[in-house]
Amino acid sequence: MRRSLSLLARQVARRRLLSNVPESTVYGGPRPQESSAARRVTVTTLRGKHRRGEPITVVTAYDYPSAVHVDSAGIDVCLVGDSAAMVVHGHDTTLPITLELMLEHCRAVARGAPRPLLVGDLPFGSYESSAAQAVDSAVRVLKEGGMDAIKLEGGAPSRIAAAKAIVEAGIAVMGHVGLTPQAISVLGGFRPQGKTVDSAVKVVETALALQEAGCFSVVLECVPAPVAAAATSALKIPTIGIGAGPFCSGQVLVYHDLLGMLRHPHHAKVTPKFCKQFGNVGDVINKALSEYKQEVETQTFPGPSHTPYKITPTDVDGFANALQKMGLSDAADAAAAAAQNSEKGGEPNGNC
Amino acid sequence: MAGGAPAAAEQHAGVHRPGGPRPQESAAARRMTVTTLRGKHHRGEPISMVTAYDYSSAVHVDSAGVDVVLVGDSAAMVAHGHDNTLPVSLDIMLQHCRAVVRGAPRPLVVGDLPFGSYESSPAQAVESAVRLMKEGGVDAVKMEGGAASRVGAARAIVDAGIAVMGHVGLTPQAISVLGGFRAQGKTVNSALKVVEAALALQDAGCFAVVLECVPAPVAAAATAALQIPTIGIGAGPLCSGQVLVYHDLLGMFQSPDHSKVTPKFCKQFGDVGAVIGKALAEYRQQVEAGSFPGPDHTPYKMSPVGVAVFADALRNIGLDGAAAAAAAAADAGKTEKIVGDGKPHEGDNINNGILSSAGAAV
Repeated sequence: MRRSLSLLARQVARRRLLSNVPESTVYGGPRPQESSAARRVTVTTLRGKHRRGEPITVVTAYDYPSAVHVDSAGIDVCLVGDSAAMVVHGHDTTLPITLELMLEHCRAVARGAPRPLLVGDLPFGSYESSAAQAVDSAVRVLKEGGMDAIKLEGGAPSRIAAAKAIVEAGIAVMGHVGLTPQAISVLGGFRPQGKTVDSAVKVVETALALQEAGCFSVVLECVPAPVAAAATSALKIPTIGIGAGPFCSGQVLVYHDLLGMLRHPHHAKVTPKFCKQFGNVGDVINKALSEYKQEVETQTFPGPSHTPYKITPTDVDGFANALQKMGLSDAADAAAAAAQNSEKGGEPNGNC
Repeated sequence: MAGGAPAAAEQHAGVHRPGGPRPQESAAARRMTVTTLRGKHHRGEPISMVTAYDYSSAVHVDSAGVDVVLVGDSAAMVAHGHDNTLPVSLDIMLQHCRAVVRGAPRPLVVGDLPFGSYESSPAQAVESAVRLMKEGGVDAVKMEGGAASRVGAARAIVDAGIAVMGHVGLTPQAISVLGGFRAQGKTVNSALKVVEAALALQDAGCFAVVLECVPAPVAAAATAALQIPTIGIGAGPLCSGQVLVYHDLLGMFQSPDHSKVTPKFCKQFGDVGAVIGKALAEYRQQVEAGSFPGPDHTPYKMSPVGVAVFADALRNIGLDGAAAAAAAAADAGKTEKIVGDGKPHEGDNINNGILSSAGAAV
């Protein structure tokens, strides 16, 4: 009942358009996606998939359009990752992003993706001080961010306790072990984990502890495939892998990486080697922008088909006369010439 | 890590970065300023402008050689999913500006003053503009409108030493009085107002003026009357330059479930939305079929000895199933050659997933 009420509220909120008669005006704003919202993914849906052995798909999103894309592609879970710090904000690590900023990302994603399960990352610094701080932050991610669940990193006892406290507050928690990017300081970099026996056993044990604390799933990042296989086998909840091989219950990738968003040679950002590029979006974008620039510089764009707003010949005359009276004869001539040109449907004449 | 350029100064020794952003020294050398823009205008070279809202879009706009990147309050619609530009705050605009500035060292960066941040008084306008410069890192600001109070605000901002780009015609922040996103300048009076407002903004010290959604003759008149460049959007070809919204020109919103409409004055120079949709569908299909990740994308290894000891350790703590799974996974992945004797040693470098003493960097 509560679910459908909040869904209804969301739809109603989206229909409250401030623009007058939006369909017929310049910018047709975004429309609600009623049918997709009906097939909403919940932790229960995921449990069902996991039981039936169906791999779970997760992709990150950080704004409205990426959320729309992830939703439209039928992806199960949309993760608003603190990887935003790197791919959206251009930092070298995930550390700089604040909870306030994560909430903005969450909100934008929530607007765009009514169907997938929405998981919001707790960013570095928002949950490590105490279980109380962790609960407060998690509450904000749901209350203000509009998310369905949160993710937090780490398997130390204090992190496990924090996870437990959040679950007890009624908030679904996705754990995250292996390479935990927020711990870059102690890890000494983005280094794969679980490569020694002790480290590998720790990965399995912490995953189990997080399950015990009530997590509904656990991300395994950058560990060898046998370690991920072991953890996946030991757990009853699903594992979501990234750089962890094919034996997880599901997979997650960063939006920009899987799309090949940043491949331009001038920019040396490298896609991680565990990430397959399923598209060449960066190249497509570069090509489109170069073409736009070229057409602007040769005055090919905008042509007549992209110059839709007209003024009647009578009004052009009135306009030109008024300009003359104001002493703006060049302007008057320009207006008249432009009107003649568009009447002929001809090429734009000359330059400013 | 792949990539030829040596580590930039900002990389600390011993910290792996996944190939984070590098300074673009040569790009920064050809930096656009209001002066270079004036030069283009004098030479009759059309000025190109595109919006960007985050790091990667900024990188793309910079890489394509576009002259000006506008951190537009259109972010409210295309990044945040609102129906109009009103909801975005100055604080959010500052975040967008910072991200864009990090990605685009070469173009001129203009930051939009959002609705509500500059209309109360010239003092408020100056304070907001100062924040955009100081905290947002932009090179100039844009504000909408041509009413006397707006022109006064523009003048105050210019007097504070901040370059201002004006904006007349359809001004989306005025949707309330305009009654929607409606083209302007379609009657004689309205057309005259556009020209007069543009002139007043020039007088106040603006370095350029955006003309939005006006008929071509009106834009032509304004462009002829002004000494400063006009940047058009939905205003025909007779402006000094053009601007388009990033997502619109790229065809970003092409998903069938989503009926956001590209404005009719905007040409789609790419079909990025379709490319994205296809890539995501492919990812989904491969994950669901179990074909991703394959061996090529499963780089991190454990030696056979390591796996055996690991499996033993798991059995010792009662996780027999997990031990079997680990062994099976290791067998499945036995396609990689192990360098050296395959035994783990003290101080071995196992950075790239292969146990080796070569210590190849990730």
